[in-house]
Amino acid sequence: MRFGVANEAPAKSSLKDIPPSLTRHSSGFDQFCGFLRASEGLSILDMSGASQANITFITGLGHRISSDDIVGTMQQCFGADFMDNQQAASNAQRFIEQTLTFPDQSFDGALVWDALQFLVSPVLEETVAQLLRVMRPGGLMLLFFNADEKANRTPVYNYRIQDQKTLLQTPRSGYQRSQHFNNRMLERLFERAASVKFFLTRDHLREMIVRR
Amino acid sequence: MSSPARNFDPEPGSVRSGSAALGKNVTVKGQIFAREDLTIDGEVEGTVECHEHRLTIGPNARVQAGLKAREIIIQGSIQGNVDATDKIDIKKEAKLVGDIKTSRIVIEDGAYFKGSIDISKPTAAKPAPQPAPAVSQQPLSQPAVATPAPVAAGSVK
Repeated sequence: MRFGVANEAPAKSSLKDIPPSLTRHSSGFDQFCGFLRASEGLSILDMSGASQANITFITGLGHRISSDDIVGTMQQCFGADFMDNQQAASNAQRFIEQTLTFPDQSFDGALVWDALQFLVSPVLEETVAQLLRVMRPGGLMLLFFNADEKANRTPVYNYRIQDQKTLLQTPRSGYQRSQHFNNRMLERLFERAASVKFFLTRDHLREMIVRR
Repeated sequence: MSSPARNFDPEPGSVRSGSAALGKNVTVKGQIFAREDLTIDGEVEGTVECHEHRLTIGPNARVQAGLKAREIIIQGSIQGNVDATDKIDIKKEAKLVGDIKTSRIVIEDGAYFKGSIDISKPTAAKPAPQPAPAVSQQPLSQPAVATPAPVAAGSVK
């Protein structure tokens, strides 16, 4: 199954086109924290780039944290328009080579956040394959996807942990086009995983936890 | 007419400030060992060790090396593992690719970091060993085990 992009002209973001910061309750992250608190010495991957808040929270629970800024890599490889520019094979190859460059089964948990919604086939499937490769069996991944099928642009956020149930979304680089996924599409995207669990939210984010 | 003799020796009791620096136009390939605070603003390839001192990687620095120090401040670009016994401070303009091992870390928003972070808490000081309680010494002539009292014949039923 290939994930494609609707035929729309790319929206150009301006410096004034900055989305607002948001604080939101996250049931998915709450469950992920239950996993963190049940064990010690886990190895956790944060794909939102390094931040004091996330480092302090994860290491405060006695775990090791690794950082891989996947959206930053998208910006380096795809430039201003993620959707269009990742169609070029050279850009896609460069992105795959720079992302998730960790040994097999390196992590017990991964905070993927909403990065995957900015990827399309074949980069999306390859990134998911790399993600499953670096996760240990039984490991948990937390992912967010835009659930508003009418939205043709999605704000690009950093995710900062406030506490076990609360996340702060801070704007990163305006807006980008993103894919809309339904539950069935996400289940098929992670069909190699052991299990997938969805969480209902009041806003336009679909939260899910995937068990490797 | 001769000029008066000038004494260039340091004044008695004075201490030279312990801080060394490699400027932005300096390139070093090899091992650097420092026994004082060190600032690097040039290019270094190899290893840098400043045990018990502060190491500052300046904004113009491009370092491909493993770093060890008591405290490390990063403003430039590093590719290599970083080990600070006390603290690592990553400024917003820094770029670090490598693994970190330290007791404390401060990272500013905007800093680029790719790698793992291992926080090693300083081990608590072990309590001083308590002296063993005095044990009374029995003379060798007295047996350690008490002998049972003799039982009279016919008293046990």
